Amino acid sequence: MNSTSLMVIFVGSIFTNNILFASFLVMCSFLVCSNKIDTAIGLGSAVTFVMVTTTAINYLVYHYILLPLGLEFLSYIIFIAIIAAFVQFVEMFVERFSPDLYYALGIFLPLITVNCAILGVSLFMVLRNYNFLQSTVFGLGGGLGWALAIMLMAGLREKMGYSNVPKPLKGAAIIMLVTGVLAMSFMGFSGMISM
Amino acid sequence: MKLLRTFFDKIEPVFDEGKPLSSLHPIYSMFDNMMFLTDEKTRNAPFGRDPIEIKRYMFLVIIALGPCFLGALYFFGIRVLWMLIVSYAAGAVVEIAFAVIRKEEVNEGFLVSGFIFPLILPPGIPLWLVAVGMIFGILIGKEVFGGTGRNLFNPALVGRSFLALGYPSIMATSWITPGSGTLGNLLINYQLAAPEAISAATPLVQAKSGIMSPLKDLLIGNILGSAGETSAILVILGGIIILAAGMANWRTVLSIILSFAGFNLLLNLFSPGTANPVLFNMLSGGFLFGAFFMATDPVTSPVTISAKWPYGILIGLLALLIRTFSGFVEGMMFAILLGNIFAPLFDEVVIRIRMKRYAKKY
Repeated sequence: MNSTSLMVIFVGSIFTNNILFASFLVMCSFLVCSNKIDTAIGLGSAVTFVMVTTTAINYLVYHYILLPLGLEFLSYIIFIAIIAAFVQFVEMFVERFSPDLYYALGIFLPLITVNCAILGVSLFMVLRNYNFLQSTVFGLGGGLGWALAIMLMAGLREKMGYSNVPKPLKGAAIIMLVTGVLAMSFMGFSGMISM
Repeated sequence: MKLLRTFFDKIEPVFDEGKPLSSLHPIYSMFDNMMFLTDEKTRNAPFGRDPIEIKRYMFLVIIALGPCFLGALYFFGIRVLWMLIVSYAAGAVVEIAFAVIRKEEVNEGFLVSGFIFPLILPPGIPLWLVAVGMIFGILIGKEVFGGTGRNLFNPALVGRSFLALGYPSIMATSWITPGSGTLGNLLINYQLAAPEAISAATPLVQAKSGIMSPLKDLLIGNILGSAGETSAILVILGGIIILAAGMANWRTVLSIILSFAGFNLLLNLFSPGTANPVLFNMLSGGFLFGAFFMATDPVTSPVTISAKWPYGILIGLLALLIRTFSGFVEGMMFAILLGNIFAPLFDEVVIRIRMKRYAKKY
């Protein structure tokens, strides 16, 4: 059993081991959906919510169904299936109770299904032997960390509206460069917390 | 002067549109602008309220950096001058190449970045690394975004963090023992000096193992450290110059210092022994230099006045946390870069709050 304290996991997964800047997961929606701060906030909160709940569900499924039956090798497929089912459920729920948010998020809501950070957090949880509470906090921190990253990127991209980027670098290329500098700055936290 | 003017007027047609040398026109106008102000007068509104413009602005910052530069020459020798020349040459190559391709005028921005850059490097660093760092900083930190005024990050800091992460062993062993006496190290060229002149523990590294340098040395600056940052007195002197001239915003400087000192006091109060003493922490390393000269960069710090407070508080807090808990002994570089990253978000929040207030009022 891993004995890292909850506070360390929470702060660590937001800053020092940010899922985006340290592991470079979910670059796809990070590149596409970071052009406006509002979209970034919406998507960030949706991802956070899905991440917390699916990590908790996946923990229970893994430890109370897969492990006793000796089916750990199925964890990838089962985790993906659970995430997909849960995103479907969230989608229906949001459409029923908050149509505004539903239309604002549009295609990005179902796309959370293929968000690799969510699967990544579930797999890290197994790898690092977290208990239930630790896993949930890790999911929350990971989600918030990702939301923070995409919001920072959206802010920088809005400021970049004044920039004069050379033609070959326009679009995804310059975003990759900026992400590189961001990752370089987040390196400053390295060694602060070991998870 | 008149001779120079006639010379410039004479050679200008060579660079005109259609002539073989026309692509080099930006270089011509750079030298022209460096020597002469424009003599055109404004015919109708808007009129300039203040004669300050980018060139004077940059020049004033360089004057404010003067004390630090002279101090660096005194403590670490002529080598600092070679570093400055290499840094300017490398920066100018990138800057002029982009100006020629874009058919824009060469901007004076790189004069400040190129001046600051050698001052934040270890004085014993190989000269080719100065060039590598400067080219990376100007290229990735500034030119890909369109040049002066359009960059997102401080170019000098982008270059320095690239060196710190890319060549950590060279960066950590390039300190020079400072000189003393009337001439200091002025006459010593460390390129040729014996290797024992270069040792490896700055006051912040020593503090990790419990050896505290006396505060007097930190104030005067006869300690190991990056070229321009060792002497707290000279940094404060330069800081007063740019604050008085209005180049740096006092809110940024004040909030960084207050937050750094405040959080340091709190940390020492609740868990004594984890962080260095407040005064030692403030005077050592690049904290003051960063607070006065790097965090206040008008392009990369927040635009709105109110956002400068959270920006400064964040930088102070991060600098303390990184210095105390992370694997790096010096936190100011990363703290300011992270501050640059958060700056647009702070601006956005401030603007949204303002808009809401206006909407409520009217």
